[in-house]
Amino acid sequence: MTPKAAKATKDTKATYAEPVVSARDVTMTYGDVDVLQGVDLDIHRGEIFALLGPNGAGKTTTVEILEGFRRRSAGEVSVLGADPERGDDAWRARIGLVLQSWRDHRRWRVAELLTHFATYYPDPRDPAELLALVGLTAQGGRQVERLSGGQRRRLDVALGIVGRPELLFLDEPTTGFDPEARREFHVLVERLAREEGVTVLLTTHDLAEAERLADRIAMLVGGRIRACGTPAELARQAAARAEVRWTADDGTIHRERTADPSQLVWELHRHADGPIAGLEVRRPTLEDTYLHMLHRETDGTDGTGGIDETNGTDGTDDTARAA
Amino acid sequence: MTNVWRAGLQRGRIELRHLLRSPKEMSGHLTNVVVALVIAVYVTGDVPGTHVPTAHLVLAGFAAYLLFQIGLVNLPQILVTEREEGTLLRLRATPGGIPAYLVAKSMLVVVMAAGTLALLLAVAALLVDGPLPHGPGGWLTLLWVTTLGLLAVVPLGAAVGAVLPNPREALALIMLPTMALLFTSGTVFPSTSLPVPVQQVAAVFPLKWMAQGLRSALLPDTARTAEAAGSWELPMVALVLTAWAVLGFLLAVPLLRRAARRESGSRLSARHRKAAQSGALPA
Ligand SMILES: Nc1ncnc2c1ncn2[C@@H]1O[C@H](COP(=O)(O)OP(=O)(O)OP(=O)(O)O)[C@@H](O)[C@H]1O
Ligand SMILES: [Mg+2]
Repeated sequence: MTPKAAKATKDTKATYAEPVVSARDVTMTYGDVDVLQGVDLDIHRGEIFALLGPNGAGKTTTVEILEGFRRRSAGEVSVLGADPERGDDAWRARIGLVLQSWRDHRRWRVAELLTHFATYYPDPRDPAELLALVGLTAQGGRQVERLSGGQRRRLDVALGIVGRPELLFLDEPTTGFDPEARREFHVLVERLAREEGVTVLLTTHDLAEAERLADRIAMLVGGRIRACGTPAELARQAAARAEVRWTADDGTIHRERTADPSQLVWELHRHADGPIAGLEVRRPTLEDTYLHMLHRETDGTDGTGGIDETNGTDGTDDTARAA
Repeated sequence: MTNVWRAGLQRGRIELRHLLRSPKEMSGHLTNVVVALVIAVYVTGDVPGTHVPTAHLVLAGFAAYLLFQIGLVNLPQILVTEREEGTLLRLRATPGGIPAYLVAKSMLVVVMAAGTLALLLAVAALLVDGPLPHGPGGWLTLLWVTTLGLLAVVPLGAAVGAVLPNPREALALIMLPTMALLFTSGTVFPSTSLPVPVQQVAAVFPLKWMAQGLRSALLPDTARTAEAAGSWELPMVALVLTAWAVLGFLLAVPLLRRAARRESGSRLSARHRKAAQSGALPA
């Protein structure tokens, strides 16, 4: 059984239990800007849930509302059975978090800091084992400000899980990681979720990361969750947009997006005398789904075939700024 | 609850060790002491109408100023910096983190104040024949004036640290009024030489009363003739300092709460971006 299949069985079982995180119609307004316009989320125990969205979409805002750091404008939220705005210390102890930008405790030594934060929790992880887990054993005696960006981030992750949280929030955890560190981080997160049943909510801009790690992915665009499902489901939703490429007789390369690639290929063959050079059918990837979503948001229409991806991304930036 | 104390005291010890090992900060504190000693050497003569050296008057006033500075300059700076770096936010995300932080900061401030005062008085007594309390009464006055003085300035400093924008602007905003008070509160020279309205304004703030209280603890009783009121006014010292302590607590608790509540990851990122743009922080 592949890991993904194993996940799926576990999920179906977990679905009957009460979700660890549940949000209904959450809105957030800064001044007169509506950043969130009705976000609904359900995250189940042991699940790795990825939140995607362009810069400024409101991912951090959403995560901070769930963490209890930010007061929502309206809506219902329950995290580990409590309203985050009224979470007490016992509730806090069950949650771990890694924020997007942290530069605290620069003068502390790595091991010293981890050992100190272990004292706040009833059943902390062993600091030495934790250092080994995130690959910082050699840096244990170093001052935090002397760590590289990626090492610092790994320390943040270690601090996030030192109290054995049931629920872990990771806001862009792998920014600045080299490929190897990223891979090790993925293994670590998977291990936490699979072996210890930790529920993980992570935000990322790395679609491959989301696809690889997440059981379910939600796309936050224009203040709402526009799509939510397993990576496979999301890709299927965009099956309308498979891409067919081929080289015409005059040597020009054609690309066409279509709802029915099979139909198009068949027609191409009917009009051709023989094999078609460079014929290729690209199934939509998560990235296609994502860019498609963004494009639809910018246009206010459902995208049709033949959209240039580059335009799609440019449009996205505007939405992000306007949001 | 025991956990909070344990974590807080551990935190205080570690922060203290960092302070002692930081050449930059230690030299800042030591410079103050050195400046006080140098002034004491250069000031000659007696307080008019007494046999008390003017240098003693200056040293007692400087001791008060150093306590004042720890509460209202050093503490706010530490708070603003740690707020900006995200220390406060991390502790907020940690069960019992904020109370432990307050325990640690109180410990740090008390040790810093006691250390500075002891160092100043001991070195002055050894090198420049500086003042020391006369008899148990003097020591007792020294103890209560120091304690009450710290209670007057530390919560106030915490409140200031909770509202100031960022470390770079904070220093300028704090230093101006502090310097103004230093020169109008009769700390380094008798305030009787200043216009009466200036004296009256300075008398609203705690520094004048801390200095007066420390003079009463450190100088012989005869020196009180040099005071503006002709006496030490100890009941008034106690009253004003208590009033500031109460006011400070009333301000500090909600302001600190608000500061901790308002901290969030996005604010942190926004500040870091801004700081990186202005080149103040390595990005
Ligand atoms: N405290 C605030 N006051 C006003 N506007 C804010 C505040 N915090 C965030 N915003 C705005 O809300 C929007 C969403 O911000 P948020 O940080 O949640 O986005 P994000 O999805 O995490 O973006 P990124 O991918 O860049 O991390 C942005 O337009 C941002 O400028
Ligand atoms: Mg963000």
